[in-house]
Amino acid sequence: MLHLFSYVSARSKEEVLSLLASLPEAALIAGGTDMVVRMRRGETHSHLIDVAGVPEIAGIEAQDGRLRIGAGATHARIAADAAVRKVCVALAIACSQVGSPQIRHMGTLGGNLANASPAADSLAPLLVHNAEATLESAGAVRRETTIEALITAPYKTTLGENELISSISMDALEGYEEGYRRVAKRAAWAISRLSCAWAIREEDGVIADARIAVGSCTPVPFRPHQAEDFLKGRRREASVVAQAVGIVLDEIRRLAGMRPSFVYKLPTVRDLLTSALGGLSCS
Amino acid sequence: MFIGEDLDRVDVLEKVTGAARYAQDFKTEEMLFACVVRSERPYARIVSIDLSAAMAVPGVVRILSHREIPGEKVYGAIIRDQPFLAAGIVRCVGEAILLVVGQNEKAARLAAAKVRIAYEDLPSVSGIETAGKGEVLVYASGSLMMRKRVRKGDVEKGFAESDVVVSHVFRTTYVDHAYMETEAGFGWMDEAGRIVIKSSTQNIHYKRTEVARMLAVPEEKVRVLQATTGGGFGGKLDVTVEGFLGLAVYHTGRPVMMRYTREESFLSQTKRHPMRIDYTMGAKKDGSLTAVKVDILGDTGPYASYGGAVCLRVAVHATGPYDVPNVWVDSSFYYTNGPVAGAMRGFGVPQIAVANESMIDEIALSLGIDPLDIRLKNAMKQGSATSTGQVLSASVGFMETLRLVEPFWRERKKSKKGQGFGLGCMYYGVGNTGVANPSGMLLELGEGGRIILHSGVCEIGQGSDTALLQILLETLGMARSEVVLDRGDTDTSRNAGSSSASRQTYVSGMALYDAALKLREALELEGYYRGRSLSDIYRARKGEAPLFFEGYFNPPVSGLDEATGQGVPYATYAFATHMTEVEVEEATGACRVKKVHAAHDVGRGINPRGIKGQICGGVAMGIGLALMEEFVPGKTESFDTYYIPTSMDMPEVVTMVVEDPEPTGPFGAKGLGEPALIPQAASIVNALRDATGACVYDLPCHVERLKGLLEARKKG
Repeated sequence: MLHLFSYVSARSKEEVLSLLASLPEAALIAGGTDMVVRMRRGETHSHLIDVAGVPEIAGIEAQDGRLRIGAGATHARIAADAAVRKVCVALAIACSQVGSPQIRHMGTLGGNLANASPAADSLAPLLVHNAEATLESAGAVRRETTIEALITAPYKTTLGENELISSISMDALEGYEEGYRRVAKRAAWAISRLSCAWAIREEDGVIADARIAVGSCTPVPFRPHQAEDFLKGRRREASVVAQAVGIVLDEIRRLAGMRPSFVYKLPTVRDLLTSALGGLSCS
Repeated sequence: MFIGEDLDRVDVLEKVTGAARYAQDFKTEEMLFACVVRSERPYARIVSIDLSAAMAVPGVVRILSHREIPGEKVYGAIIRDQPFLAAGIVRCVGEAILLVVGQNEKAARLAAAKVRIAYEDLPSVSGIETAGKGEVLVYASGSLMMRKRVRKGDVEKGFAESDVVVSHVFRTTYVDHAYMETEAGFGWMDEAGRIVIKSSTQNIHYKRTEVARMLAVPEEKVRVLQATTGGGFGGKLDVTVEGFLGLAVYHTGRPVMMRYTREESFLSQTKRHPMRIDYTMGAKKDGSLTAVKVDILGDTGPYASYGGAVCLRVAVHATGPYDVPNVWVDSSFYYTNGPVAGAMRGFGVPQIAVANESMIDEIALSLGIDPLDIRLKNAMKQGSATSTGQVLSASVGFMETLRLVEPFWRERKKSKKGQGFGLGCMYYGVGNTGVANPSGMLLELGEGGRIILHSGVCEIGQGSDTALLQILLETLGMARSEVVLDRGDTDTSRNAGSSSASRQTYVSGMALYDAALKLREALELEGYYRGRSLSDIYRARKGEAPLFFEGYFNPPVSGLDEATGQGVPYATYAFATHMTEVEVEEATGACRVKKVHAAHDVGRGINPRGIKGQICGGVAMGIGLALMEEFVPGKTESFDTYYIPTSMDMPEVVTMVVEDPEPTGPFGAKGLGEPALIPQAASIVNALRDATGACVYDLPCHVERLKGLLEARKKG
């Protein structure tokens, strides 16, 4: 059963920031798809500030080769957005596969980041797109942070007590082959056991840029930069792909040690990335 | 004409509009709320219980222990061994210890959380193989709950004469019923001082018996009603909230509500029996089966529940719907300190069907025979003798189910990697195994001239209300508007037995048919069939004895010989064939079920839409059993980690019906509820082998297990 708490539905970003600054131990709630579950299990908050209806943090706009998505945008909204589907394909796919339709209509991108689950679907695509979150607090204080700097451990972020994630900006990628794959125990409405996102651009038959992110294998989703660097300038041949995938797997083992779940996860990452990097459709 | 028609479900409107009132919808401000304090240990002595903090919670009314139970302290459908409330010792996690009654749910739950219990752990038994060794015991008298045997012919001779013998060990795990509505009910004391309980249940009369025994009052002092019930699947056959409600009302005299949270339901309610099935099958070169030897171990948890029924049924069904001349089956069920395993759709037959059907395919594969052909060759037909020596004299539509699937099977084509097709077949004895399981139904010409059907058959979503009405209307040749249904009240109905074992359409349907024939004869004399209305008949009969008829049916069965299992365990059997197409993604180990052709011999289809619904539900549950459902004691708490299929996992289902009439059934009908599920997991396992070459011996075959099998094959 839920404990007692006060609840404010904020109407503007200004109101959110001033409430955050004035209410002790206040927590932000957007879709509540993770938070309400935790509260039912006993997590307590004295005050909840609902940011779901704040218009300034819900928009999606393109600017200077970047795409800026409001933290309050729902997964459903992002998955359906024409700009996201064009220049941030992996994120559009990921958002379309989160949970169930109900969860996608409630859950938000900002909430996904703040919750910082290692299985969050949006994280691997955001990493591939070099995303940065904009954090704001009262008094017009504003800072930008990379996803890597924001999420430091499972369910741990560097988000300050009075800070709101207002938006996330990311590279708008054109001319890339992009994809996202998640694996779960059933066709839908299941937490990802692991996920991979990728974006590859070729020029004159060689790889000009390769971006890979792997989720749910290491404490936080990560980019295997060594493997990406290895791929650059090389052709997409089986032996090249195999070597690159080998580097990714080494990197996972280096970051996470050897886990029982790797009996499954490593061969699966290997096979998914092999077909993705090899240019075979598996998404 | 009602038989074979898609009569609208009796409950359809109120369910889709949300008007149906489930037990917890009856909650009022005046009702107390009761909840259960449960064991956190698998096996322990209770050293002390500290209630001080719990009693200090505002709104706490009573905290009841086994000491406050005036009558029998244990219950059980087959063996009475399960305490309503633990008496000094707990034998599984989730076992009930105390009942906390509060002014409202919040007070009761808060107080329950504040009860402090000190335990002294005892060495616990986990897993069947440990239990079988007998080194650690749940009971000093031994860990074996029951052993059943089936012996027919000479298996050693059969194997000696075989050209091929295959042998494998299969393992299955705990599965939860996962009904949409968790256990719930409420109780009160009526003006005559009787205890009345209205709950989500599959059997009102059995619940009345247990509550009366517990309270040491005659059965007529207890009345049990069925609330609209959101699914049962066997999990609401055992006493759930009824005993607690009886006890709380008995001690407080006030109305009391109970409802389990999903977590509590997972923690405390019975599960499908985990089994270890050691299966050996032999055949001649031409594919004819020579011998089957099966050694089954079952984990029933610390209390028997329906374990006895599962132990026996799984032994009897071990050879599947095939003619096997030599059979040796041992089915041994052990007590452990795992969750209590009980009845769940199919009573163990879905598990054994996986082993049996898998072996048939391996025999076929090793002989180079098509899987359908080997089934056609060995299929039971009229005149076949089952493994218990029962000669099937009628309603053996198995061959027809195979023939209906045949064109789709012959035309199947693999057009891409990872695609595979599998067959799964089954037979299933309708009704309880080798014991009397009668039903009584009452019909009355009631006030205003309407026929009232007093039915003790619990409608749990399977559609029994509708099927029974169709049988009644067909027999009487009446319009729907002339009949009123009074269902689920021990005061007005006869004992119809449980809604389980796929028995209600067949057994209660026949009892109702019996009553309806008597009523029809009376109405004939009264001139109803010559145009006289029921209201005229009713008015004219004022002052005379009311028109009231009782129907009865008890399926003709005989007990089984203890040493050989020979006998007639069931009056009739249902048969089915499922053909399943899967698609496996080798990279991830994900298996998607794409299409199912399901052919069922139902004897006679009462309601085609109901049949289709049952089959689709069975397919869904079979997908869960084969690919994802796994309750892990101590880990699984909720749907967060317990995966059941969603609509996105559902394949296209093509249903086909065979009507080989059962002479003892109403209009020839048999049962379908469990048969719909039984062959599905088996057909998936066979389709997986066809798709990947991987042999699945452990269920569920979730993504990780399947990927592991594929990796192992790659390495050789």
